[in-house]
Amino acid sequence: MDCHDVRDHLLDFQRGQLGGDVATEVRRHIDGCVECAQADLVERELTLLLERRTPQYPAPIGLKRRLMARWPSAPAAGAPTARRPWPRVLVPAALAAAVLLLLVPVAFQLLSPHSQATAVMVSEAVNDHVRLLQSQHPLEVESSGIHQVIPWFTGKLDFAPGIRFAGDDEFPLRGGAVGYFVDRKAAAFVFGRRLHTISLFVFKAEGLSWPTSGLEHLGREEIYQSSARGFNVLLWREGELGYALVSDVNAQDLKLLAAKLSP
Amino acid sequence: MPDPAVGDLGPEALAYADALHNLARYLTGNDTDAEDLVQETYSRALGSAGQFTPGTNLKAWLFRILRNTFISQYRRQRGNPTVGGLDTVAPIGYGPADVGRAKDEVELDRLRKVMAEEIERALMMLAEDARTVILLDLEGLTEVEVAHVLGCAVGTVKSRLFRARAALRALLKDWKR
Repeated sequence: MDCHDVRDHLLDFQRGQLGGDVATEVRRHIDGCVECAQADLVERELTLLLERRTPQYPAPIGLKRRLMARWPSAPAAGAPTARRPWPRVLVPAALAAAVLLLLVPVAFQLLSPHSQATAVMVSEAVNDHVRLLQSQHPLEVESSGIHQVIPWFTGKLDFAPGIRFAGDDEFPLRGGAVGYFVDRKAAAFVFGRRLHTISLFVFKAEGLSWPTSGLEHLGREEIYQSSARGFNVLLWREGELGYALVSDVNAQDLKLLAAKLSP
Repeated sequence: MPDPAVGDLGPEALAYADALHNLARYLTGNDTDAEDLVQETYSRALGSAGQFTPGTNLKAWLFRILRNTFISQYRRQRGNPTVGGLDTVAPIGYGPADVGRAKDEVELDRLRKVMAEEIERALMMLAEDARTVILLDLEGLTEVEVAHVLGCAVGTVKSRLFRARAALRALLKDWKR
């Protein structure tokens, strides 16, 4: 295998998509070739760059509301299969009712002080995640080994941010950093999911307004799922510690990781 | 007759609004057209929900509708100037001149300093196909899923992604600061 072959295989190699023999050959070549080792670094840097700094344009709230209002919650029996779902034949009163149905629960949620406090937690989790992504050096300790990452926090926090999941092929651990969550210090663990980044913030749970409704069972814990600005957020507490999992991966993937963290 | 799965499809389909809007924004280059494109995508998805096979990849299906809608409507209407642009100008490979440690070190150093707006500018300079394949890959779609979206073979996705990333690297490397 020469340099050209290796360059052709670099991306697949980095993503673990090469077969055993080919992967070994590429690895061996990179270990012995300074130029290809450097090219390997460049390709990895491009991936990191795209993952962390590509501006994202999530759908505006107004668009989401319009889409929600127009997608039928259940099929109307006998209704014609229209190519466009919101033709003019829609009765205005029905539209107004649909909007009301949509807005009343939202307004109710917004008016509840407890919900507002929970929304702050969700928003803060997203802020912390974005801050981590945009940071020049997001990881203060870069390691896929949980036994390197957890001891690194010693002396930097006034609690032990023990987590049970050490990362695997599906969700590799990339490292950690000290961050903040609302008004307190937090241990930030960073996991990967394909090309996406998932942040797990662990912090002292006391004094925060934890959600009491809309919870669902996952593993041993009750989790609260929400989303903000295109990011999915899971919140749960376990004893004295609180956990916030944030990413732009879909909610199912995030729950998969949460289940591993709280088996 | 409406497909009974249309209503069931809604919550999951709507969960992809952010990802769809992101690609739409990069395809159209502006917020208004991106919103229109996403709205039209859902409109078409709803109209053809009966053709969706439950258990298959809904996300890839929606992306495919969005891209086809863009090609059939927006690109033709607006005469997208980036069609046939970078990544198709020349096959970018690794010739002898590209295999140099000092050169790679300089490139690595430059990449580490690239800012968000420079990535966006570089992405917008790529040909639409190249931009799309990079964004779908970034979105986490597998090569099989990307092939479904683009309507091409998996091997084609691999080579397109390779060329697209090389074109992007070339743009970012030569960026004037």
